[in-house]
Amino acid sequence: MFRKALLALPVALALGATAHAEKAPEEVLQGLIDSIDSRYLTQSEMNLMMMPDNPALWVGMDGEDLFHTARGPNNVSMEACDFGKGPGVLEGAYVEMPRYFEDTGKVMDLETRIVHCMTDVQGFASDDPAVRQRHGSGSDHMKLQTYIAMQSNGMEWNNPLDHPLEKAMRDAGEVLFARRAGMSDFNCFACHGQSGKQVRASVLPNAKIGEDWTKAISWPAHRVGHDNVRSSQHRVRGCYYQMRQPGMLAGSDASIALISYWTDLARGQPAILPDMKR
Amino acid sequence: MFKKKTPMAAGIAAFATILFAGGCAVADTGKSGQVDYTAMTPHELAEYLIFEANGGGFNLSQEMQEGGTARERMQQDELQKACSIIDDGKPDAETMAAIRTAAQESIVYPEGGIQLGDWKRGRELAWSGFGYRVGHNYDDHSVRDVGGTCYNCHQFATDRTGGNVGPVLTGYGKTRGTSDAILKYAYDMIYNPHVYFPCTHMPRFGSSGFLDEQSIADIMAYMFDPESPVNE
Repeated sequence: MFRKALLALPVALALGATAHAEKAPEEVLQGLIDSIDSRYLTQSEMNLMMMPDNPALWVGMDGEDLFHTARGPNNVSMEACDFGKGPGVLEGAYVEMPRYFEDTGKVMDLETRIVHCMTDVQGFASDDPAVRQRHGSGSDHMKLQTYIAMQSNGMEWNNPLDHPLEKAMRDAGEVLFARRAGMSDFNCFACHGQSGKQVRASVLPNAKIGEDWTKAISWPAHRVGHDNVRSSQHRVRGCYYQMRQPGMLAGSDASIALISYWTDLARGQPAILPDMKR
Repeated sequence: MFKKKTPMAAGIAAFATILFAGGCAVADTGKSGQVDYTAMTPHELAEYLIFEANGGGFNLSQEMQEGGTARERMQQDELQKACSIIDDGKPDAETMAAIRTAAQESIVYPEGGIQLGDWKRGRELAWSGFGYRVGHNYDDHSVRDVGGTCYNCHQFATDRTGGNVGPVLTGYGKTRGTSDAILKYAYDMIYNPHVYFPCTHMPRFGSSGFLDEQSIADIMAYMFDPESPVNE
């Protein structure tokens, strides 16, 4: 098909650091589409065609430069930072987050771990724009998150639950996912408990179907409607907004608990990184 | 917001078998005064993460359109607690029956009976997703009417695309007529659908105060009026 021709020149392969990736993100998605009948996975033919030229790939390239550049008052690069697999080791790190980190004694998701790296390793003040600006393709955060996450493309979600805190956070996230509150009485299942359902024109992913759910949680993704690359934390914030519940604070333990549970729901399914969403 | 809690509390408290103790068992690890998350049950930890951890996991001090703060909006009433089931299951039969009874008791009918209002206004309200959103992009109710968000989940007149989380309502009045019984059923479903479908995901647009009496009458006119495009 038309897609096949585009696959010959995926931008992803231009990124040396992703040479380990055997499949381009669009091929990972196609594998899921071939394995299950899902209106959610197939809802945007245009995005499928556009994925080889996903703008997030360029954001990730900027992130590669940023990651390997000595920065901050301490003038060190992020290669000194441990994302769970040892300092500077990124391959497969993101699909095993959130995870417990010995040095902070906390379960952290990618975004909060980047904050920790910027402040405690590179020496940025916590109110430095590099640390504070979390959203938008031009932010350091989204560049770094996209680059780091891309090193897990095609790998199976597998956030560890061996540490008691990892298990506690995952289990609290399960409660939060089902917790109804606010003016609309919504919980996450209001939108994510059935297959093939749509809100207005958007087909929704079913949290109980792993093949749906891995795409749902494959952030960073370029959101076409926002014309920006967005993060897991941004998605969580948007869901609570639509549920008429209060704004979840970025990096709060509540947000990390929820992300621990939603990652567990996709366990064993391949990550699409970066993804492209409507 | 709290006015809806009174009838619910009486109806469900006795059946609330899934409810957990309100207070959190916050254990102290002894080191640097940090609480031990692993000493709490999942429910206790979830509540702690929402309301307590580092001052709360949400922007809890923000003022809400209905009055009060986000902290109050995040607190669950009896129905919300009873219907918050892991994996989206249903509560036991006794609890379901209590929910239906409490829902029935929550419904307030207009003086002079259920009336159909202005279908043209109702059409725009059914389409609108504005109202009661807070956080980073707060819905200012002084600049726009609160909508019903109906099209999010339902299809009405087909010139606009609706969702399919709820049933198709195209041709609603044309196929069902406008008897007192069907008007009451539609009113009840909008006001508090738990009277017929306990633990439904549809909001309680009347009981919660989301929609006022006039807006419900206008949305019902959009569903029932022979002139409405719903009934073409």
